[in-house]
Amino acid sequence: MLNSPLFNKLLAQPKLLAKQLLIGDWFVLLASLLFVIYLFNTLWSNEYATKVQIRLGDKIYATYSLNQQREIHVHGKLGDAIISIAQGKARFAKSPCHTQYCVHQGWLSRAGQAAICLPNQISLELLGENKLYDSLNY
Amino acid sequence: MRKAFFYCVILCAIIFGAYKLSAKEPLYHSQSYVFGTLVDVSIYGETDERAQLLANHIFREFQNLHIRLHAWKPASAVRLSELGELNSAFTLGSKPMAISPDLANMLTEATVLSVKSNGLFNPAIGHLIGAWGFQRDEFTAVNIDEAAIKNLVHAQPRMTDLVVKNNSIYSTNPTVKLDLGGYAKGYALDLAAGYLRKQQVKNALINIGGNVIALGQHGKKPWRIGIQHPRQPTAIATLDLADGWAVGTSGDYQRYFMLGGKRYCHILDPRTGYPAPHTQAVTILVPPQAANQPQAGVLSDVASKPIFIESADNRSKAAQAFGIENFMVIDDQARVFVSKEMAKRIHWVDTSVKFTTLQ
Repeated sequence: MLNSPLFNKLLAQPKLLAKQLLIGDWFVLLASLLFVIYLFNTLWSNEYATKVQIRLGDKIYATYSLNQQREIHVHGKLGDAIISIAQGKARFAKSPCHTQYCVHQGWLSRAGQAAICLPNQISLELLGENKLYDSLNY
Repeated sequence: MRKAFFYCVILCAIIFGAYKLSAKEPLYHSQSYVFGTLVDVSIYGETDERAQLLANHIFREFQNLHIRLHAWKPASAVRLSELGELNSAFTLGSKPMAISPDLANMLTEATVLSVKSNGLFNPAIGHLIGAWGFQRDEFTAVNIDEAAIKNLVHAQPRMTDLVVKNNSIYSTNPTVKLDLGGYAKGYALDLAAGYLRKQQVKNALINIGGNVIALGQHGKKPWRIGIQHPRQPTAIATLDLADGWAVGTSGDYQRYFMLGGKRYCHILDPRTGYPAPHTQAVTILVPPQAANQPQAGVLSDVASKPIFIESADNRSKAAQAFGIENFMVIDDQARVFVSKEMAKRIHWVDTSVKFTTLQ
């Protein structure tokens, strides 16, 4: 194939390709472009989260990509909490609060999932392209 | 021709980029911790500056209300709250105390609702709530004092023991201790919704730790809220809220303690004095109410409690007492029940959820 005379001819005359496109070819190109855009819109924005937003009190403390492995120390109202990020997920790994509800929530992985530590006033929320809802009723 | 193709690609990129930029919607979102829970305010269609002023005003109002209605004295507080002063006066005898008009109205309304619920919604059982250790910032297991609980139930503190007259109040029963934990958040929702309407705000969503009210909508779509799964860190379902509608969830998963492998939640059955054992969560959906009636926010807070407390057979009746047509119950065995009306409105996040529709 790569040695074929036609291929060599095409290489030598790059302009030939565009010139030989007929109206049908343009339709095919247009259709495939639209298809790619469609795929991009449907597949790119899935429910899996890409970022985790950490809030401390009434402020946004930081937003981190979930595509990394790291531990974040946040100093809350009661003391230091540790938040782990690994393999597209996030969780409270350690919290100074008495109830430990936040730690028991475990790993969060989907956009819109949240873990809230009321005593220490720290919350995690996973962000993604498609948020399922505007606010969580818990 | 090749040039034309490249122009075409560049044009597409510009259009796509411009679309992405213009897609930044006029949504302002802010959170704060009030009433011992997370308060979440979204305002749509206002400038960020104005929305921030409005949200801050709401947070300040909530904080004021929280301080005035605090049912117990936190270690950090210097003096008793307005409600705390009343409570300490009730224990001393039936001498009338001055009461501010808005608090008098709240207590009168709470009394009407308590009677309507056959006493299952009972803000007068503050001593009982204290005995279970739920009048603290953190909930640790308590030694269950059976005799004390029995006495507190036997004393029958009720809202109807209160006499409100000429801006003063007294209680005919010294065991009445007010705890508006099942009322104040709903009241605050109505207050905030009223304020935003007065400020000509068309679209907003206010969430006070499980009680939500909607104004207008989120752009072209209605406001959508997620209902927390009582045992998983995810939403079990979503609901769309139309203008003026409110949602309330009562659950056994945000305030509880474990003792001997058993869960004791903060929602007490005033008849037994014990935490209601057979429910994980109740969610109700409340339409806008007539002007002279308890408003949607208050109802969303109050009316979920009797459904939570009642036995399985009486749940529908408890809902009917408040005219609640839309409700969902998740019982202690994680079985899901939805009313007929609710079944039409609810969207399951996990479509494999098995549920029973109540007729």
